[in-house]
Amino acid sequence: MHRLSTFLIGILLVFLTSWVGVVAYSSSRLGHLDPIADADTGGSLPPNLQGDAIAGQRVYAAEGCIACHSQQVRQTSVTGTDIARGWGVRPSVARDYLRDSTAFLGSVRLGQDLSNVGVRLPDAKWHYRHLYHPGSVCEGSIMPSFSHLFEVRKIQGQRSDQALDLTGVDAPKAGCEVVPTAEAKNLVAYLLSLRHDYPLPEAPVKKAAGAK
Amino acid sequence: MSNTTYFHHHDPESEGAKASCIDASVRTPVLLLFGNALHWLLIASVLALIASIKLVAPGFLGNVSFLGYGRLSAMARDLFLYGWASQAAIAAGIWLMARFCHRTLGGVLLRTLINSAVVLWNLSVLLGTLAILAGYSTGVEWLEYPNWASAMLFLSFLMIGIWVVCLFDRRAGIESGGRAEPALWYLVAGFCCFPWVYGTANLLLTWKPLQASAQGAVQGWFCNGFVILWLLPIAFGCLYGLLPRLSGRHLNRQNLAPLGFWLLLLFGGWAGLARLIGGPIPAWMTSAGVVAGVLLLIPILIVMMNLSGLRRRGEKENIAWQFLSAGLSFVLAAGVLEALTALPGISAFARFTWVTASVDLLWLFGAVSFPLFGVIYLSLPALLGRECWSTSLSGLHYWLTFSGLCFLTVILILDGLFAGLALLDPVVSFLNITSYSQPFHVLEAAARLLLVAAAVIVASNFTRAVAAKRLFPKK
Ligand code: HEC
Repeated sequence: MHRLSTFLIGILLVFLTSWVGVVAYSSSRLGHLDPIADADTGGSLPPNLQGDAIAGQRVYAAEGCIACHSQQVRQTSVTGTDIARGWGVRPSVARDYLRDSTAFLGSVRLGQDLSNVGVRLPDAKWHYRHLYHPGSVCEGSIMPSFSHLFEVRKIQGQRSDQALDLTGVDAPKAGCEVVPTAEAKNLVAYLLSLRHDYPLPEAPVKKAAGAK
Repeated sequence: MSNTTYFHHHDPESEGAKASCIDASVRTPVLLLFGNALHWLLIASVLALIASIKLVAPGFLGNVSFLGYGRLSAMARDLFLYGWASQAAIAAGIWLMARFCHRTLGGVLLRTLINSAVVLWNLSVLLGTLAILAGYSTGVEWLEYPNWASAMLFLSFLMIGIWVVCLFDRRAGIESGGRAEPALWYLVAGFCCFPWVYGTANLLLTWKPLQASAQGAVQGWFCNGFVILWLLPIAFGCLYGLLPRLSGRHLNRQNLAPLGFWLLLLFGGWAGLARLIGGPIPAWMTSAGVVAGVLLLIPILIVMMNLSGLRRRGEKENIAWQFLSAGLSFVLAAGVLEALTALPGISAFARFTWVTASVDLLWLFGAVSFPLFGVIYLSLPALLGRECWSTSLSGLHYWLTFSGLCFLTVILILDGLFAGLALLDPVVSFLNITSYSQPFHVLEAAARLLLVAAAVIVASNFTRAVAAKRLFPKK
């Protein structure tokens, strides 16, 4: 290690092992997976995302939900906990992320895993109330409020059918209502789209699951 | 024979430039980088404190709900990574490379280029952080800056890094066949790895994102690579260069040093895959990650063998020495913890808990930041040409950082273990587990308060030291 050129070649070669093994392999193999035809519906798996759910991913990124939520159900060979907790019916595989613009795998779970939150909690109204004030639907939640994704406005004539049914401290002043902004709607559309309960060839779904 | 060629103690001064000339030539960029780095560290610490208070009281600052935990923690981490650690590593790299190679930073053009790179770097950090605040985060962990901000950061690094790497070939004594010392290998390797790691990850995750199914492995590779291939080599460069010089002794078992160096680069690239144990990547990848994560202990142990024997002979009162020496201990602690958490049996319950965060904390705050603090304390008097530190503030800084970091690590590990083991039992509800964690979150906020105090002290000590120079100009 006397001259820069020989030294740099050495560093390059060592660096290339992980670079080729991890980065190049991922982008060439995993980066070109195709959806699978769904025999039951004639659609494809994973299903296509609607426009509002795609836009919702940007809100998910902007608000930093990934700081507290993961989106991956771990292999049962490592731990059965994720499935036992009802966070999914099968482990996540690479193809599950095909429709996403960013893979929000996450590294911390201060909140639950969200890969199947659309299966678990399919009600948009619940999500709006939860996002507006998590503590109101989950006593003792440490999830922050995302009330800036909502708008408080005067009721014009009829109360909007999108207005949140809020009670107690959250209830708006008389004559006012709380409605979700476009961002909140997109985010909730995205959350509802998070359902990976279909079988894939590399990830079959076992039927008799005692999940709760 | 080879023992003497590693050290330049008795180097003829004529062969290279004098230390004072070298210091004068790099003074402006190094002071700017260190000064900005310490102030970003302060802001990062405050944001991290606010974030941890929010875990205790989610309603804290509730009327500005866009300043939520998600944005705060991303801003705090990126400020730490790019504002503080990377910036201080660049500064340490410039100063040490110039010193160890006995070369000045010459030429008006080069100086202007490097000074503008420093400005560009800080501008990118500022704008990137504001972009996260404004909701333009990419949502990729550790790479939240929008693509234009990361491109600016990348460019700014190249403007400095190329010059630093080229010093290797211009070092004094190279013509007479003098071999480069280990500190130089590590510094050059770090400066080469930053563009590769940061550039590749940004290219594939934010500039021109891959299909998301392929992103997981690249994310894991990046996070570990950023620490082990970029920041850690710089920290090792500081330790290998300064511990022998300060103690006046040679490395122990010097013949092992090259092995440690190459193995670190080899395993460092692969170990990141252990972050995804059980995750949606091919099984061979996680297995490779586990093996590399454990084998990473070999280069760490070699570094310990080379350096830890030097410590007993140092001057204990020297603040720089204290930081360097503690940094070496944190290297071992972080390496052991990384190997443990790479084991699938442990990962099964420790992953996704604060245990993972404690490993990153030990690497970034302990193994990397402590040696960098050491270099700051050592370089400033040389750069300013006078004793400039307040000894009482320096000592206070050491004890606050050291105790704050140890306290925080222990809390995070305990919290993570409790939560992780409780999660194994599906009968215990998730909200119950959250409530077990609450007392730990209070302690975590307390530990973060210590770190904020430490950051205030070192930033004001630095400002005081530099300002004093202007009040009493050098004779
Ligand atoms: C401070 C960490 C934190 C952040 C940031 C956070 N959450 Fe949560 N989240 C939690 C916790 C804790 C729970 C469990 C308690 C609850 O339901 O409120 C939770 C629960 C949830 C649930 C219900 C899951 C279930 O299975 O019951 C959903 C949905 C959710 N979060 C969505 C989000 C979204 C969307 C964001 C970003 C806009 C977000 N969270 C940001 C901590 C967080």
